[in-house]
Amino acid sequence: MIIADRAPETTTDPHDKSPSKKSVKITIIIPTDAYFMSGLRDFTMNVVRNMTGFSDQWAFRFQSVVDELVNNAIEFGSAEGEEIKITFVSVVNDHIEIFVEDKGTGPSKKTGEEMSKMVQERRQQDPTKITTIRGRGLSQIVANWTDEMEFIDNEYGGLTVHITKSIEGGETL
Amino acid sequence: MADVQIQIQDALFGDKAGKVVRFAGQLDETNVDEEAKKIYQVVDQSELPYIMLDFGELTYMNSKSIGYLTDWYTRIAEKGGMIVVAQPQPNILDILKVVGITQIVSVYETIEAASQALAAGAVNPAS
Repeated sequence: MIIADRAPETTTDPHDKSPSKKSVKITIIIPTDAYFMSGLRDFTMNVVRNMTGFSDQWAFRFQSVVDELVNNAIEFGSAEGEEIKITFVSVVNDHIEIFVEDKGTGPSKKTGEEMSKMVQERRQQDPTKITTIRGRGLSQIVANWTDEMEFIDNEYGGLTVHITKSIEGGETL
Repeated sequence: MADVQIQIQDALFGDKAGKVVRFAGQLDETNVDEEAKKIYQVVDQSELPYIMLDFGELTYMNSKSIGYLTDWYTRIAEKGGMIVVAQPQPNILDILKVVGITQIVSVYETIEAASQALAAGAVNPAS
């Protein structure tokens, strides 16, 4: 996993005007409160179904991916009263990127390097041997349903988690 | 906030007394800690728990709710009982598979198949 500081960007060729390579970017900001998660899951479902080219199965999967990433940001990244920014970047019929950005004011702040290490260590575990209630969200659900997951130390002192998933790989799983 | 309803009913699986726990709605960070207590109560009150979790109307579950499912399995297995999952929707089965839980807890497509497995006392996958 790469630890870097970078802003969301698409990889769309600007000269490619074909409708199948249309790019869509949507950013939403929610308060640090799990109360809003149900609405965010509905929103994610609609974005994936209508603006990406991914199948319905993957719309459900991205619901879980976003839910786990944002719950993690709520629990560890941003203090109550702060905000969490979620950005969807879709290159239609090609790939999706999702950025979840916290402010680093939460009760258990971690650096990008620390998060990467923690997830990597949990990835080494046999999932059937995990006996704790927690510990499956990022290391099992998000890691298995994305091509890449990186933790970036952001300009606000918090973390931006960036995931990518290509539609080709997604549709063949 | 996510909405979930849990109904717990007595049931007979062959000659074994047990419970059917029906879930409807979404299990997420806003409700799972509170709702999980109901299942722990069922597990703790039975000497030999035989429990069917009917996920037919469950539309979402997060990683923490899967963690609780694992913990219920462990406690029930320690008592010599059984827990099975019945008729999960495709997205629920998908997430159970991706975290490896279907290798531990048996999942059945129908209520009838889950009942028969509990009646037969068929072992859970990890037993």
